[in-house]
Parts: sequence; C-alpha cells; structure tokens
Amino acid sequence: MLYTVNKSPLMFGNLKSVLRLAPGGEPILLYEDGVYADAQGTASENLIQQALNQHPVYALQADLQARGLASVVDGIQVIDYEGFVELVEQHHVVPWL
Amino acid sequence: MGNTVAVLMRKAPYGSVYTAEGFRSIMGIGVFEMDINVLFVDDGVYALTKGQNPAGLDMKPLGEAFPMLPDFGVTKFYVHDQSLSERGLTPDDLVMDVEIVDDAGAARVLESSGIVLPF
Repeated sequence: MLYTVNKSPLMFGNLKSVLRLAPGGEPILLYEDGVYADAQGTASENLIQQALNQHPVYALQADLQARGLASVVDGIQVIDYEGFVELVEQHHVVPWL
Repeated sequence: MGNTVAVLMRKAPYGSVYTAEGFRSIMGIGVFEMDINVLFVDDGVYALTKGQNPAGLDMKPLGEAFPMLPDFGVTKFYVHDQSLSERGLTPDDLVMDVEIVDDAGAARVLESSGIVLPF
C-alpha cells in the first residue's frame, strides 16, 4: 500500500496518524503541502526521521521546488511525476487526506 | 481600531487557494486606501519564503508578489516569531522586511484592527 500525505505536518496530524497505522516497509509519498515535512530544522523533523526509520519515503519534486525547499532531510527519495505514476501503478493507494 | 483591517494569513501557498486569494484581498484593500495590517502566523509564514518556483505546478509564484504590495499602499507586515522558528526559518529567509512579533505582539495587531479577514 502507498500512503499519500498532502498536508503540512505543522498544521495537521496526517503524517503523525499515518505513522501510527502504516505497517513498516510500506511506502509513504509526500506531495502538495505534505512536502514541508521534508524541510530541515523544523519542529516536526522527528516525525520525518521516524518515517525514514520505518518506511521508504518519497517526495514530489515539483511541490518541493514550488515551495523553495532546496535542501531536504537525508534519505528522502525525490521523484518527478513519472516516478509518481510508477508508484501508483505498483501499489494500492491509501490517500491520507 | 475603527476601520483598520487585519488580514490574517495562516496557510501555506500552492496547497490551496487561500494565499493567492489573501494576496488579492490585500491588494484590493490597499488600492482603496484603507488602513491595513497583514499578519503571518503558522504555515502562513511559508508564503514569504525565498526561492519559490511553482512553474512545475503551472501556478504563478506568490512569494515574489508580496514585496510589491507597498506600491499599493500596504506597508504594515507582521510575522509571528515562533511560527518562523518552528519551521527552521529566520527573517533572512523571507522575501521582504517585516516586523517580527511575539504572541502578545500578534494579539495586539489583531486587537488593534476593527475587522479580521482570515485566509
């Protein structure tokens, strides 16, 4: 299952609740405002570290670039729209809106 | 108080229309020469960060638009200090000079305004 998160971790609990429920090893994709979880030095950095310890974590390039997030936490796999489509083809999607 | 309007920006740009619509409102209020305070709190501070490039989303850049607002008579910009620090940001990361306010300072901006428009 591919868990997708599109909300900012500093305003909403979506990423936190995904980490409670998603079994280890299942991929997590961050897109739209979800990519703010990738930013370095935020008060939510422990969440992304927890995610990286248990899951492959992907982030959509266009959303990072739009928000001026040039440097992301180590271990995040930055993907383009083609990579997004590949992930969706390979997994059932659980949109954690 | 009186006819002063405070525009309260609390959401990140691009993930929703709030930042763009807030910007349009701020410009409109400025054009009509009304007294206006603009306050950025929570994810709203992301609207002002440098380096935004939404070309890949086929959207217009918002960050670089805010520094043009003084040309429309909007000059009072306030940014909440803790909202910045929680996001690993400092005033140097922002596209324009703003007044940094603490909790009490942000509350005073809202209290001193007759109307608060939330975005």
